[in-house]
Amino acid sequence: MSEKRRAGVLVSGSSSSSGCEADQEFVSRSGVSALLAGALLRLLDCRSGDPLGFLAEHFAHLSAEAEEGGAEQRSLSRALWMLSLQHHSQRSAFNSSVRVSYDLLSQCGAGVGGVGGRLYTETLQSLCSEGGLSASTSAPLLRRLQCREHETVPFELYRQAVLTCSVFADYIRKSQCLYAAVASAPDRPAQRTLCCAVLETLKEALETADGPDTARYLEASAKISPAKVAQAMAEAHSQTRDGETMDAQEFEDAAAALFIARVRTVT
Amino acid sequence: MKMNTERFNLTVDEYLAETNVLFYLNDAVTQLLEHKEEYTQFGVVRYFAEYFTSVKNGNHVLFREFSYIKATPHNRESFIHIFWKCFRQIGKNGDLLAMSEYSSLLQLLCPDFPAEMVQNTARIVLIDDVTDCLMSFSDFIYSFQIQFFYEEFVESISAIYQDLLSGKNPNTVIVPTSTSVEQLSSSANDKPDVQEGVDATIFCECIEGLCERFKHKYPSTVAIKEILDNTQRVSFYGFLMALAKHEGINQDIGALPNKPDLLIDPEMDQELERLIAQVAISPTSNNNSSSSALGQKEMSKKASPRKSLHQRKRIEMESDGSTEETDSSEN
Repeated sequence: MSEKRRAGVLVSGSSSSSGCEADQEFVSRSGVSALLAGALLRLLDCRSGDPLGFLAEHFAHLSAEAEEGGAEQRSLSRALWMLSLQHHSQRSAFNSSVRVSYDLLSQCGAGVGGVGGRLYTETLQSLCSEGGLSASTSAPLLRRLQCREHETVPFELYRQAVLTCSVFADYIRKSQCLYAAVASAPDRPAQRTLCCAVLETLKEALETADGPDTARYLEASAKISPAKVAQAMAEAHSQTRDGETMDAQEFEDAAAALFIARVRTVT
Repeated sequence: MKMNTERFNLTVDEYLAETNVLFYLNDAVTQLLEHKEEYTQFGVVRYFAEYFTSVKNGNHVLFREFSYIKATPHNRESFIHIFWKCFRQIGKNGDLLAMSEYSSLLQLLCPDFPAEMVQNTARIVLIDDVTDCLMSFSDFIYSFQIQFFYEEFVESISAIYQDLLSGKNPNTVIVPTSTSVEQLSSSANDKPDVQEGVDATIFCECIEGLCERFKHKYPSTVAIKEILDNTQRVSFYGFLMALAKHEGINQDIGALPNKPDLLIDPEMDQELERLIAQVAISPTSNNNSSSSALGQKEMSKKASPRKSLHQRKRIEMESDGSTEETDSSEN
């Protein structure tokens, strides 16, 4: 491979024309040109932040495809890898990755269009665990999104579910940061009244409804702005009953419940 | 994974150029064409998978020609990292080596590695005193890193430094008069010691100007200012030594651990111990190791300082001791 010593200095500049023609013939006959063009197109489509890793994975996948066995598991791994390439906030690139992963998983079906229910559910579970979510945190969300094993999942439903899981993982991470901010000291749990005030503010923001998306986003942002949160905490602080606290897990569970309440049940 | 989202704003050509993708694709095809029969049997797709996996892992630079190793920042970083992995044991044993010996070690990994670069590295470690002084592994490798990773930058600031020494400031147009020439000459003669090196502030301004238009890699200007703000005058090799010792610059390159961790590598240590035990059991056998360990075994063999240690019969010294040795030899 690349570790091998080279027999001599590269003399491509002075190679004979017949040598060049033989090389050209070899490249086209063995499919190298098409192979590399395909790899480049895929790379440019998703604009990976780690292009060398992307190419290694891409060729490894193609190489594995030529071998028999384990096709479904390999497709699942590759689909998850595709989904991990882009953050959901990069919506165009993210949608592209979702489409590719959907096509990969669809190929596992016996000719039926769409992703099988069992594989779809497995994908969502893996997505949540890879996003750093514990099983107990993600279970209520998955119950709303999952399908029965025998069902076939259309693309739009798949995309919505994948996006929901990705956003949820981000949301939980930010909730953990929010709890750390409320607690203010890492060794001490936060006061319950302060936590409740912050959760109430969060709930108000999540419940922002009606109107076009842009207006809703702006209104929700205003409701959860630092000033609003600080105001809620200040009001709560004046009514503090000393000693009663809320631990990080309880806060996370409560925040998760607020999010999950907004997710429509599938089927 | 990296969350730098600027790549979505780049054109196709800009994105490919920034990541050197086409360079590696070209090299992969060139290698493939040089070994058509072998790789056709191996499988063309599998070949590309292994090529890019090795590039990703950084071991693609082993035994390649120098022009390939220096072609991309990733290659330079990978080579520095592999050199450290292979020969870290020298530092651990406290061996001091001469310039020619370090050159030989580098050529074990890269057959045409130029001796000139090792000489330039030695000048940094020994502050331009090009004798046969011995150097500790840690002194050598951090200086080598600066010389090799930032080769173009070092060349450019060397030219700036020489200009400043000869009285020219690249940022300023000076119209000399006969009077000022005489004064400069007189001043230089009167105070030779005070004139050692160049003015740090001016040197810093010139370097900043260079960095604004430089198209190769260069150390962060924040680090450069940190170094030059602490001194009024600076010598060229003193400056390079400061770059070599700067932790922030080392972290930016990302090839080597910080100095306290330079000699620590649990994984490699375990592998070495296993190999030593194996050699002790059956010293003439080379076929006992598994295929996955074969590459590492080869690297470890090259890394082994035991033979050279016996031949040279050197006293083992701590890294700090070697530094003192270097200092005393300068006196």
